[in-house]
Amino acid sequence: MSAVTMSPTMRKLRLSLGQTVITIILLFLLVLTFVPIIYLVVLALKDNGQIYGRFWSMPNPYRWENFALGWVVIGRSILNSIITSGSACATTLLLSSLSGYVFARHRFPAKEIIYTGILALLMIPPILTLIPAYVLILNMGLENTYWALILPWTSGGQVFALLLCRSFFATLPEEFFDAARIDGATELQAFWRIAVPLSIPILVTVAVVRLVTTYNQFMWPLVAISSPKRQVVAVALTQFTSEIGVTDIGPRMAAYITASIPLVILFSFGMRQYVRGLTAGGLKA
Amino acid sequence: MTVRLQRWLTAGTLLLACWWAAAPSPVLAQSGEIWSDNLASPITGLAMSADGQRVAVGTRANEVSVRDADGRELWTFTAGNSITGLAWSEDGSRLAISSEDRFLYLLDGETGEELGRTKASRTFNSVAISRDGSLVAGASDDMQVYVMDSRGDLLWTDERGLGVSAVSIYGTGDDARVVMGAHDGRLSIFSKTGRQLLTTRLEYDIDALAVSRSGGRILAGTTDGGITLINGANGELVWTAKADSDVTDVAMSADGQILMAQDDRGNVLYLDTDGSIVRQLKPEGEIRQIAVTGDGTRLAFGLADGQVQVLDRMQQSVGLATATRTRNMAITATAGLVALLLAGAILLIVFTTGGRRMWVQHSVGPLNGLAAVWRARFSYLLILPTLLFLLTFNYYPAFSGLYHAFTDWTPSGHSPWVGLENFRFLMSDRFFIASFRNALILVVVSIVKTMTMPLLVAELVFNLKNRYTQYWMRTLFVVPIVLPAVVEILVWNNIYDPSIGLLNEFLELVGKSDWSRVWYGDPKVALSSVLFIGVPWVNAFALLIFYGGLISISDEIIDSSRVDGANVFRRFWNIDLPLLMGQVKLLLILNFINAVQTFELVFLTTGGGPGDATYVPALELYYMAMRMDRMGVASAIGMILFLIILVGTIINMRYVRTATEFEA
Repeated sequence: MSAVTMSPTMRKLRLSLGQTVITIILLFLLVLTFVPIIYLVVLALKDNGQIYGRFWSMPNPYRWENFALGWVVIGRSILNSIITSGSACATTLLLSSLSGYVFARHRFPAKEIIYTGILALLMIPPILTLIPAYVLILNMGLENTYWALILPWTSGGQVFALLLCRSFFATLPEEFFDAARIDGATELQAFWRIAVPLSIPILVTVAVVRLVTTYNQFMWPLVAISSPKRQVVAVALTQFTSEIGVTDIGPRMAAYITASIPLVILFSFGMRQYVRGLTAGGLKA
Repeated sequence: MTVRLQRWLTAGTLLLACWWAAAPSPVLAQSGEIWSDNLASPITGLAMSADGQRVAVGTRANEVSVRDADGRELWTFTAGNSITGLAWSEDGSRLAISSEDRFLYLLDGETGEELGRTKASRTFNSVAISRDGSLVAGASDDMQVYVMDSRGDLLWTDERGLGVSAVSIYGTGDDARVVMGAHDGRLSIFSKTGRQLLTTRLEYDIDALAVSRSGGRILAGTTDGGITLINGANGELVWTAKADSDVTDVAMSADGQILMAQDDRGNVLYLDTDGSIVRQLKPEGEIRQIAVTGDGTRLAFGLADGQVQVLDRMQQSVGLATATRTRNMAITATAGLVALLLAGAILLIVFTTGGRRMWVQHSVGPLNGLAAVWRARFSYLLILPTLLFLLTFNYYPAFSGLYHAFTDWTPSGHSPWVGLENFRFLMSDRFFIASFRNALILVVVSIVKTMTMPLLVAELVFNLKNRYTQYWMRTLFVVPIVLPAVVEILVWNNIYDPSIGLLNEFLELVGKSDWSRVWYGDPKVALSSVLFIGVPWVNAFALLIFYGGLISISDEIIDSSRVDGANVFRRFWNIDLPLLMGQVKLLLILNFINAVQTFELVFLTTGGGPGDATYVPALELYYMAMRMDRMGVASAIGMILFLIILVGTIINMRYVRTATEFEA
């Protein structure tokens, strides 16, 4: 029996039944998805006695001091992460918007060759450059410094950012720049006063994507940074027990939550830009 | 006029080139050098007898070369593996050697004849000998310190349960004392018979130790860059100086008056007896080992490129200052010359008729490439920072990796071309082979995970009639994205915890405790456990992409399909899926690239174990480079992964082009 021949009431019944089924499936998946997060939050508020003794009960009393303990161990590395990700992001924005502008609006010999050469870097996986980049940093005497993170991250972020910036700048109408030139603006003024303000949305997108990516970076900091004082949070979280000797589960979980706060803040402002940025690379349509 | 101008510029440039060629390249060796030699392999051990009459040099290529005061080779000794440490008795009659071949050797200093040896279960990392040669101690990576007598008989061992990488001995005969520094920062002094006499605690791992003749002063180098002087009598801290990074070697004269340290960036630090750093030098070439004679008159450096230098300490300190000054002068002069030349060129161009004519001619010349480049100089200047960054940190490492995959890569040392040797090695590496099988499984499973669950959820959310529920469902499924990737893995580690994990507790709760197991420890389930992480795999990113694709399908198409009587499944197959091919392609390629490079997921959970059950290529790459020091092999793995990704990407692009054509 096809849907067309069904009576309207049956259709309606079947429709609402379908909706209920869908909702139930979704709720079930949602609960499953959230189990680790709920588990994380519950553990973060218990002490070891509560975890081993009454595994299934809710925290009682709530051990909020776990967060203070976690912060003592992880605070420094969160700060390290913010400093390195932030500086790398800022430099990437500055450099790639400038060169994106040049590639979009200037004409010069070998422009397309250079541009293709830059885009070709998208084909280079990080795993290939990991060890050579580490040796490079060693030879520069920069291992164990913020520079070991900031410089490669700045550089690596540029390719993608340049791609976005160039295609955006290319869409800006020529008249704006002609007008500026007639008013006596120099090239740099035109860039800074016209192109940059108009491209704030795309720059925010680049910034959010870069910040999230570098904040989540694990392998490079693991290789390039060995001192706990300079380590970023993604790696520091995993070295927690061995380095500091904290064996309590509660503070550890509290630290995991604390480590997520910068991302919570970032996503609460920039979720849309993040998604747009990630899809922009691959989906032209 | 034009000709004269050009001649001027050419002459200037030539002059500059000559200056560069002739400019003295100041190296350490120029000042106070007594002798130097190159042993063609990184120097990993260096020791001088108290009077400097005997110098022993150990290399990574298993050789120990014993020299006299003038650098003449007296005899050599070959161990079964790299040398890790050397120590002379005071008069040079006994030489103790620690090696990666797991042996601690005691040799006769005059003839090189072996007097005794002791074996550990793992590599020895440092060695010490008493002044009279009656007691030899070695620290091993098996976390024990082995102490043997002058015949090579093992007297006692001390199991710290923690890594020990520094030992030293002072005193003679029965009064000999063994000092050891452990990875928990504990510094302990033991009697000859193995009784612990004193222990004190520094804040960081102790990596290097030196003791004065009487044992009154102990100099310790720690991994935080601390250089600490300890009173040997009571274990009290006298002072701590700070280097920029890990201190890897310290040296002290017999009277404790001359103190030196070296950090892992190749800086050599000279300290005075109050603990202030008198001078910090960054010599050319990477210094790996330092030594000072007991009387403090001679210094020795061992470099990563195999060079050994023995220097007169007094002259060296004067000479180094001169060398630095010379170099500074050379740099200033070169910069000045360049500036002068540029200024001259500009003046000539602007103020002489010839210069102006040349300028005009070139800039209006039709299709003159160079002139066009010159006119666009501003554009080049603006993209220059970007290009410099990319060349240094992206292009250079990429090519360096591809090149070094064919070499036995020793950073800052000699890297001989070995052809396909690294690849041949990998083909016989059990772990690497296993890692490929696992990587294949990982790639397939990860693609299946992203192609099913997120698409299902996107489709279900899309089919919700109520806008409000639709919005909240979508938002809630995306929330987990705020957890750092590492945190998700770590939480799952806790869920899988065999003693207090959620999974085993849950199985117990529902009465299936016989199902519970050590999830990461059982070779049969380890890989599945790792793959199971993140269940139900509703990846927020994939979900958003699919959902975005679905809402961009026009309502008309969907409505018309409904009118045609297509049910939900037919609509999915015939409309949604073909129109989502772009999204599928994107996720396919991103997933493939990421899955091939999987590292954290395994590194943080099973570490590749048990056995090789969960090994992945990136893990092998990391271990090869960071633990085994086989950079060449690591680069070969990187190259293989790069090629796989390249091929995969090309195949994907081909495949998707047909899909798009089909769509149109």
